[in-house]
Amino acid sequence: MQQSIIIIICLVAMVLLGLAAAMFRSMVKAAISLAGISAVLAVALFLMGAPWAALFELSVCAGLVTAIFISAISLTSPDRKQPEKVSEHKSRFASLPFILIFAGVSLIAVFILGGFVIDPVAGQVTAGAAVTFREAFWNMRQADILGQVIIILAGAFAVVILFKEGGKA
Amino acid sequence: MNILTIAILTTAFLLIITGLYLLARTHNMIRIIIAVEIVMKAITLLLIFAGYLNGNFALAQTFVVTMIVIEVIVAVVAAGIAINIFRINGDMNVGKLNKLNG
Amino acid sequence: MSASFAVLMYAFMGLPLLAIVVFNLIGKKRVERCCIPIGYIVSLVQVAVAIISMMLLVQYNKEAINFSQFWDMTVSVDAAYLSVDMFSLVALFSVGMVAFVSFLTGRTMVRGKVFAFSNVMLILMMGMNGIALVTDLFSLYVFLEVTGVASFVLIALYRDGFGLEGSFKYLVMSAIASAFILSGLAFTFMNFGSLQYAAISSAMADGLHLAPGNAIVQNAAFVLLIAGFSIKAGIVPFHGWLPDAYQSAPAPVSVVLGGIVTKMAGVYAIIRLLGDLFARESVVGTAFMLLGLVSIVIGAVAAIGQKDFKRILAYSSISQIGYIVLGVSTGSAIGLLGAVLHFFNHATFKTTLFVNSAAVEKQTGTTDITKLGGLQRQMPVTGVSSVIAFLSTAGIPPLAGFWSKLLIVIAAWQAGGALVAGVALIASLLTAAYFLRLQRNVFFGPAEEHLSEVTEASGAFKLASIILTVVTVGFGVLFPVLLNFMQAQGWL
Repeated sequence: MQQSIIIIICLVAMVLLGLAAAMFRSMVKAAISLAGISAVLAVALFLMGAPWAALFELSVCAGLVTAIFISAISLTSPDRKQPEKVSEHKSRFASLPFILIFAGVSLIAVFILGGFVIDPVAGQVTAGAAVTFREAFWNMRQADILGQVIIILAGAFAVVILFKEGGKA
Repeated sequence: MNILTIAILTTAFLLIITGLYLLARTHNMIRIIIAVEIVMKAITLLLIFAGYLNGNFALAQTFVVTMIVIEVIVAVVAAGIAINIFRINGDMNVGKLNKLNG
Repeated sequence: MSASFAVLMYAFMGLPLLAIVVFNLIGKKRVERCCIPIGYIVSLVQVAVAIISMMLLVQYNKEAINFSQFWDMTVSVDAAYLSVDMFSLVALFSVGMVAFVSFLTGRTMVRGKVFAFSNVMLILMMGMNGIALVTDLFSLYVFLEVTGVASFVLIALYRDGFGLEGSFKYLVMSAIASAFILSGLAFTFMNFGSLQYAAISSAMADGLHLAPGNAIVQNAAFVLLIAGFSIKAGIVPFHGWLPDAYQSAPAPVSVVLGGIVTKMAGVYAIIRLLGDLFARESVVGTAFMLLGLVSIVIGAVAAIGQKDFKRILAYSSISQIGYIVLGVSTGSAIGLLGAVLHFFNHATFKTTLFVNSAAVEKQTGTTDITKLGGLQRQMPVTGVSSVIAFLSTAGIPPLAGFWSKLLIVIAAWQAGGALVAGVALIASLLTAAYFLRLQRNVFFGPAEEHLSEVTEASGAFKLASIILTVVTVGFGVLFPVLLNFMQAQGWL
């Protein structure tokens, strides 16, 4: 029970941080809110029973992606001497909190009042094969591993093509 | 439906709404990429939730791990393109991308 | 027997990977010259292996060949293995053919970035091969993303304002589509416990019996999957990104984008979902029938007013993809056959047209059709192949397009009644209309003065156009033979 409470606190924090990422004017603060969402999500995932996913989420999303965003932001910050040509006021997104509150309340009402249950057992094809993550990943999903290798290769080429200065790329 | 299920589904939907709304309303290219990332977080949550219901955590986690790797590469490519556009246009305003009209 | 098959199948995934490794190992001086020839070899080998595999499938009378890339298949039955069946082989053949043509076009048009172009093209080929080979919905998503990333990079290859803008818009739409598809997969996983094709089709074999709560989730999954794949395929109303992406890409990239990528990424998956997995779900079929019809009409109508060569071709693609989706949504064997054939035919005639547009762009420097005219005398090969390609698109006998359109219209009549078939037929007239306008503006008519020095495009373009035209004409003429053969085999 206590675990469920902590998970719910994490979920609420995620929504609030999402709101913050949308409404902050400064891009750096938005990127850091995104990192916050990842960190809180990692905690929630771990408590739900998915440690490997939590590990990847924390190290890759909260770490690597944030670093990428911050370097991109610093590479594209407008010249300090000129005033910003387009500034996004918070008021652009002012309707977002209200939309979220409205949607959240109506969703919860629908779920509680609708009373439908998602029964995990009915309609199952393979009764949850209790393999470990290690087996599942390296033995059963080798096609995915091949795909990951290829996409990482593609990413490497993308970086070379997009970032190389002058000369031949 | 227990409270955890409700909380997870609601959170996932709210995050998706946030992400899509941000995508539609923002002018800054990097914020667009952040919006896509927010939607991906919601999907991660949904995938693990599916595994939670099934009891099949191993398979769900493999999905999530692969998805995170792919999402990172897409974010890198998107950031690269955004930086290049900045070098040509001078600012990160999506509204200025109007060369292709017709 | 299966061992020798497996060795053949390595060609699809292993050969491009090997080529990339080879590229990066050769010294800098020689690599520029042998990049494109190695690309030729890889794509031609792919075409050859596809044909050999088709003959092997027929000879041994098997449904599909299963093979695994790295491991012994008896390890785990649930493993995500790779498999080919006839439809995958048709797709793989098309991929090889279009890739070969794209390399031909790229030989003269890619300035200074040959190394990058060849490498990323090979990755694109691997991505598309992967889409055709996998047997699991999630692996399908993985290779969809591979294809997507390779396309983004290719469109932005020259780093000019045009290409970068098109690439960014395409990227955002593709990311949204992937998000929808993944959500649909998550919900499907909730209900089925596994995302393998075999598992899902056996579970759906006697209809879908789900508890009410699960049924809602499954319907949500269907909606999300339909929306996501429609965005990827460029079906109306999700087609907004397609004309911009096609127009802003460099010419050889437009060839491969318009010729095969959009079809593999979107339509192949739709055919797999409708043909194999969710064949009995009438809701999904009806939705796609509607979307297909709307795409056919709107694509054709929008193409009539365009001024840019490539944009006309882009809207025409939207229309033809509508035909393919219409064919598969009817749920009958004839419809499925028509859709698969139209898939292949579109790869041929649309690629021909894109190659011709690349040739025109290279020789005249523009793709604006109001500025072009009278090129028939100066570029005869291009003009003639263009005429044949557009006749095939409009469905004129005895070319290949006629047969596939006929099958689709018949299937539509059987499934949806005369109205559906009538709309599809009328759209053929619209197709002829916009292509006639294109042909008249670019090739026929009086020669413009500033174009008087334009000569025929170089040999690579001519070779590409001629090969594709021969395939179109040959396939159209030989189709009755093929039909007889298939009936003898008992497939129809």
